[in-house]
Amino acid sequence: VDAETLKSEALSAIAAASTAAELDQARVRYLGRKSELALALREVRDRETGMLLNGVRVALETAVAQRREAIEQAEVARTLAEDVVDVTLPGEELDVGHLHPITQTRREIEDAFIGLGYEVRYDREVETVDYNFDKLAFDAWHPARSHRATFFFDSQRVLRTETSPSQIHALEGREPPIYMVSIGRCYRRDAIDATHFPIFHQFEGLAVDRHIALADLKGTLLHVMRALFGPDRRVRFRTHYFPFTEPSMEPDVSCGICGGEGCRTCRFSGWLEMGGSGMVDPRVFENVGVDPDAWSGFAFGCGIERVAQLKYDFPDIRPLWEGDLRVLTQF
Amino acid sequence: MRVPISWLSDYVAVEMPLADLVTRLSVSSAEVTGIERRGVPDSDGNLGLFRVGRVLEAAKHPGADRLQLCQVDVGEGDARQIVCGAWNFGAGATVAVALPGAVLPNGLTLEQRTVRGQLSDGMILAEDELDVGTDHSGIIVLPEAEPGTPLDDVLPLVDDVLLVEPTGNRPDLLAVYGLAREVAALFGLELAAPPGQDPEQAPDEPVGIEIEDEEGCPRYVARLFYDVAVGPSPVWLRARLFAAGLRPISNAVDVTNYVMAALGNPLHAFDYTTLHEGRVVVRRANAGETLRTLDGVERLLDPADLLIADADRAVALAGIMGGEETEIADSTTEVLLEAANFEPTGIFRTSERLRLRTEGSNRWEKGVDPHLAGQAATLATQLLVETAGARWVGHSDVQGAMPDRPVIRYRPECADEVIGISTSPADQVALLTGLGFDRQGDDVIAPTWRARDVVREIDVVEEIARLRMDEVPFTLPERRAMFGALTRVQRLQRRVEDALAGLGLVETYTPSLRDADADPGAWRLPEPISVELAVLRTRVLPSLIDAVRRNLEIGGAVRIALFEIAHVYLPSNDLPDERTHVAGIVEGGWPRVKGVVDALYAALNAEPQFTRTEDQLLHPGKAASFGAGVVGELYPGLIDGVWGAFEFDLARLAEEAPDEVKFEDVISYPPVREDLAFSVSEEVTAGELVDAAREAVGSELREMRPFDVFRGEQVGSGRKSIAFSVVFQSAERTLTDDDAGELRARIVDAFARRYGAELRGG
Repeated sequence: VDAETLKSEALSAIAAASTAAELDQARVRYLGRKSELALALREVRDRETGMLLNGVRVALETAVAQRREAIEQAEVARTLAEDVVDVTLPGEELDVGHLHPITQTRREIEDAFIGLGYEVRYDREVETVDYNFDKLAFDAWHPARSHRATFFFDSQRVLRTETSPSQIHALEGREPPIYMVSIGRCYRRDAIDATHFPIFHQFEGLAVDRHIALADLKGTLLHVMRALFGPDRRVRFRTHYFPFTEPSMEPDVSCGICGGEGCRTCRFSGWLEMGGSGMVDPRVFENVGVDPDAWSGFAFGCGIERVAQLKYDFPDIRPLWEGDLRVLTQF
Repeated sequence: MRVPISWLSDYVAVEMPLADLVTRLSVSSAEVTGIERRGVPDSDGNLGLFRVGRVLEAAKHPGADRLQLCQVDVGEGDARQIVCGAWNFGAGATVAVALPGAVLPNGLTLEQRTVRGQLSDGMILAEDELDVGTDHSGIIVLPEAEPGTPLDDVLPLVDDVLLVEPTGNRPDLLAVYGLAREVAALFGLELAAPPGQDPEQAPDEPVGIEIEDEEGCPRYVARLFYDVAVGPSPVWLRARLFAAGLRPISNAVDVTNYVMAALGNPLHAFDYTTLHEGRVVVRRANAGETLRTLDGVERLLDPADLLIADADRAVALAGIMGGEETEIADSTTEVLLEAANFEPTGIFRTSERLRLRTEGSNRWEKGVDPHLAGQAATLATQLLVETAGARWVGHSDVQGAMPDRPVIRYRPECADEVIGISTSPADQVALLTGLGFDRQGDDVIAPTWRARDVVREIDVVEEIARLRMDEVPFTLPERRAMFGALTRVQRLQRRVEDALAGLGLVETYTPSLRDADADPGAWRLPEPISVELAVLRTRVLPSLIDAVRRNLEIGGAVRIALFEIAHVYLPSNDLPDERTHVAGIVEGGWPRVKGVVDALYAALNAEPQFTRTEDQLLHPGKAASFGAGVVGELYPGLIDGVWGAFEFDLARLAEEAPDEVKFEDVISYPPVREDLAFSVSEEVTAGELVDAAREAVGSELREMRPFDVFRGEQVGSGRKSIAFSVVFQSAERTLTDDDAGELRARIVDAFARRYGAELRGG
């Protein structure tokens, strides 16, 4: 037998096999027990021929193994190529929950303030007149003390009208420095309309430290408004009046709809009102036993519905209180 | 407050662009909520087509009984023929004329036309046609003026009205003159002297004024006028009131409103002949006393109410509203003018109690400068003389203790410290002087019109701050201490929110106030705004049940699942005990809702213990309490279908959730797994068995999960089989089969002893 001829003949047969069965046929024929090679090997009597034929056997076995792997891979590929789905069909329908837009906004506010080193407070909603008005230096005639503006349980107890009582709780809680933001529900006797509901949420910030200046208030609110609305927003302050701050200002953020040019959303002013702020009035410090000559601070409050309404662009806040899934699953 | 620019310009030169004025006022003084452009369109020489005309001839239109045919001199030499429908004038009248081509405020363009065969070459105008009033009963009759004079010189044909909303501490800005003072300070302009000039010859006849309550009424200026001819005010005055949003009534009344708008001091005019004995007494009401106010309402007064009375009875609710019996009528000829000052708190209380708010009460309750009353009386006198031909015959000015101007120790460096920007002492003095403050030595003296608002050093600092507001830089505090972080419970709340949303629940917010609450001690508002928002809830779940019902009514939602985290308000003595509750409701029965609570606990690395419980909102057989709250199937029928619900206390959950998670070695030594089934009597729960097994085995019982429960003949009646998958594992050694057998025997023993349980197939 001519080993080289046998080898080349067998290799071509192996290479020609295109299915596992054909390959098996080739293997049996050239490597099987009754194959020419097997017979020849059995008859070998000299070392030289033995090495030669054994070399051919190894080469053929290797070729069969390689060919088998190639055929198997091709078959897998063929099977997979036939197993096709419509990738645009929906997947298994799992339940998807959502966080309420007020919660999402609350977290953004908290995170912005935590980044500035503030602690977060959630305080009680039923307050005494002492905490809601007196200690915050509301004048006796202040309209907020009216039964037309505020929910009274009796002459001494009210549903808090803003988160400001938290300022008192924070100041009474420990010595300055204090950096805190209080978040929660507030209550006013507002008629229900697209932007008013008698229950609403506020965030209230308070910073008390040595040498806090109005400029620090401006910078802090600029940071927070940009955290909430984006880095391009501008912030301005208008003088205002609040019982517990002096000087008092209202912060405005530049309108995101028109970029400050003036549009319907900002009532053609280019600015959106964002709440109230100011330097803590010395009377408030005196009311809680903090020395106004040693410490100074600023405070601010802002409606969370207002922020959410601007962020998410919804025209009416009432559905936020109704648990309407058509609305809530959008957020 | 509506401030016509044409009126403001009487007191300060308003020449800056309107946008600048609005911005400066908004930032430094008072919010300007809008600008209203009113009057004749000011374009393409339109204003030139409005002229003063003199009626030369006026006669009935030959072809129409209800029309007049007039010849009107408009300064062109030849007269124009104009057809007019009004009859309140005749030849010689000075009138307002629009020429053909003129565009009127309503947008229509006037054209030459023929009316019943007669050419009408223009239009004689009524108030409403010029947008200076609402009157259309006749045309405007102007005071004597040269024909052809631009009408714009005589009447404000075009005007911008600022809508200004001063804050409660700035009643001085509820006046055109007060606003002019602010504008002058902001822009460094000259301010005119306050309006009003008394006649040179003042009467010396006193008017009988008695102030019984000087605290409520620190000052009362009364002036008496005879020969008052009550009638319409001149058109310029009517136009100003109209633009300022005040309704013209008659000259005597209009003058009081004009002075209020100009200076900020509300006035009142009485028909003097109706005041018994001609006396004015300022006093508190007597118990049971009543007064019929101008609005026709009979009001029962309270002894705290401050009144103006005559010798016998109440004639006005001081500062709030006059009485009907003493009001100015067309026939009035003798007028007693009141220019008083009232203390704010009392006015506020009375107006609150009576729910009666007026232009007057709105100013008084903010505190009006008592020094203003004299100037107000002067301006009113001048106008009554000019517009009603009145003769001033009597005068009194009764004063209690008038407040002094506040003297405030002031350190200019204090402003720099508070504001965070440097303003030199000289610049500060200049700014303050512009606002009417004086600097004397170390002190600043506030003007009378700011005497309530500026009394402390910090108040003076605010004046500097508001004028420099836009220049203050944006900085951050220089921190020395304090770090920001959520508290443990706040972090837990976020994890609960995320876990529940991850489990497919949609977060909702519902009102904390409800129509009713199951707890009879729940806090109730005595004066709710609606029956739906009256009681502070003690549970959140009822609100979620309502929310589900709403969604079912809307339709379209599948597998509804809601949760809410909110306060509840548990009855307690001084203040309610406010707890943060987490409540949820899911479509589907017990297994689903139990799965939600199990998964939530698993997410928090906590293990709940469940025991059967009763809850009026839950199915009696499918309700459990666990450490922080309750879970169960919703009581059948509350909502159609089968629903699961839970409600728990967040702080109590925090007590159950481990503070920290510690690694347990589950890798070094292999576990031994086996399934064990026990037959027990019906009333034994799986939870009890697991607890007993843990107690018996200890830490080497890594896991014991019930996975199958069945009942049947093989088990016997009144009994059930519970199968557990059990994992034994030690952190210290490999458990041998013998070890596992020993542990299993402990479980079998314990179960047999305590529950009469038998190991099945064992």
